[in-house]
Amino acid sequence: MLLEIDHLNVRYEKAVLINDLSMGVDTGELVSLVGPNGAGKSTSLRAITGLVAWEREIKRRSTAGEIHIEGKVTFDGQRIDHVPAHEIVRMGLVLCPERRRPFREMTVLENLMAGAYLQKDKKKNQDTLSKVYDLFPVLKERSKQISGTLSGGEQQMLAIGRAFMSDPKLLCIDEPSTGLAPKTRAEVFEKILQINRLGITILLVEQEVSTVFKMTKRNYVLSSGKIIAQGTGEELMEDEIIRKTYLGL
Amino acid sequence: MNIIITGLITGSMLALLAIGFSLIFGVARIVNIAHTAFYMVAGYIIYYLSIRLGLNVILSMLIAVVAVTLLGLLAYKFLIDPIREHELAVMIATIALALIFQEVTLQIFTGDYLSVYFLIKGYFIIGGNKVFYQQLLTFGVVLVILLVIWFLLMKTRLGLAIRSTAEDREVANLMGMNESRLAMITLGISVALAGVTGAVIVPLAVLSPYMWTEPLILMMAVVVLGGLGSIKGSFVAAYILGFTEALVTFLIPAGAFLKGPVALSIMILVLLIRPEGLFGIAFEEER
Ligand SMILES: Nc1ncnc2c1ncn2[C@@H]1O[C@H](COP(=O)(O)OP(=O)(O)O)[C@@H](O)[C@H]1O
Ligand SMILES: [Mg+2]
Repeated sequence: MLLEIDHLNVRYEKAVLINDLSMGVDTGELVSLVGPNGAGKSTSLRAITGLVAWEREIKRRSTAGEIHIEGKVTFDGQRIDHVPAHEIVRMGLVLCPERRRPFREMTVLENLMAGAYLQKDKKKNQDTLSKVYDLFPVLKERSKQISGTLSGGEQQMLAIGRAFMSDPKLLCIDEPSTGLAPKTRAEVFEKILQINRLGITILLVEQEVSTVFKMTKRNYVLSSGKIIAQGTGEELMEDEIIRKTYLGL
Repeated sequence: MNIIITGLITGSMLALLAIGFSLIFGVARIVNIAHTAFYMVAGYIIYYLSIRLGLNVILSMLIAVVAVTLLGLLAYKFLIDPIREHELAVMIATIALALIFQEVTLQIFTGDYLSVYFLIKGYFIIGGNKVFYQQLLTFGVVLVILLVIWFLLMKTRLGLAIRSTAEDREVANLMGMNESRLAMITLGISVALAGVTGAVIVPLAVLSPYMWTEPLILMMAVVVLGGLGSIKGSFVAAYILGFTEALVTFLIPAGAFLKGPVALSIMILVLLIRPEGLFGIAFEEER
């Protein structure tokens, strides 16, 4: 397993956000993590990429409520549950965050370069950049544009492109289709498949279950911080309770 | 003519101060009230080294900038960093710091007005007004420093990391940028800028232990007018205020006393009409 999460628990004060979560992603896979709003999908991604721990340090300093994290996370054969967020990226575990969050005041190219911050090899950087431009020609066209003025779809492409610039082994993408028009959604999903075909493992968090299940071989269903089911899209859709209660279909 | 020269010099000085102040606010949300006090300390160090010890003035300036930067980093490490997530506590701590600098200066140098010599003497006359070479020198040096800062921020890897962290420190973290180290580096740059401002202005200024308060108010007005956290805004607003100041001083009898009130009025007006300032970002929720 490239990524292995073993009995992960996250609590904010008394609230249990992640409850004994265990899951794994194998090299080359495209795996989805789905579930209703507030299930803890984003928190899971934030926990494995070190952001929850980072937030915990901030809260400790400001005495604004305690965060507890327990459990073991292994990536590429190494324990990462005590590695700071900015070093986890270096190992190849990269998160494309919820709500896209481009650096709005910077140009498209500057955003991409920020993604490549750790890559000091200029040549390799240029190679990755041309890969991103091949995947997202619109980013090349708009490379000098201030990213805050891009459309929602373009901002999502930029966010994915920027994460791609960090040279991921495993790319976690949090709700890329939210708030986009149907046509743009389809395009975004197509790009994600293309990235996966380039050999990059993907863990995809989504609400748009019907499309996602056509792309994946394996899925996890999360509800109230717990994995309540896993399997292929077909298997999950056959289960009436899961389909109705957790997937809203 | 005097208005233009004074406006340019005051504007440039304010730009240097405001950019430094904005930088560390943007990156670490630190409201450093002691920012202009560092500028004062630099002034006194230069005075002490060059006048009392007789060192070369330019050497004294270099030493002063380095010393003030180190002092800033020490203050950050032991005073600010431990309480960095409490914005209000940080502000109070920096007020205390400024007052400490003021009192220590008062003890060592007394409250007498002191000054340092011009680096270059002489003047020329344009349109019946004296323009001192020192004024030109100061202005030129400030422009060079502004260019260097612009280059650092816009064209280097460190600058990219600083701007990223200022915009969204969590996402910057996700790109591998070490946010707390960047905060420290930015504080160093910020205080160094305050020190440099002190160094370039000291030949034109009169030193007193209270000299940090007036530029503090002007600088805050600049930052509010330009938009909190916006470097470009600070730059433009600094010159607007610099010229306003010069106009008020020269056109209104006893206008020098009105500097502070005028700056404050501008600040309040901006806050009422356009709280995000000229170029400011309406701050988004961080997550
Ligand atoms: N910073 C936080 N502090 C406290 N509770 C939070 C925080 N972030 C998220 N939550 C809560 O944790 C739960 C899971 O949130 P999240 O992981 O964002 O869900 P999802 O991404 O599946 O919609 C929600 O009930 C949310 O209200
Ligand atoms: Mg979410």
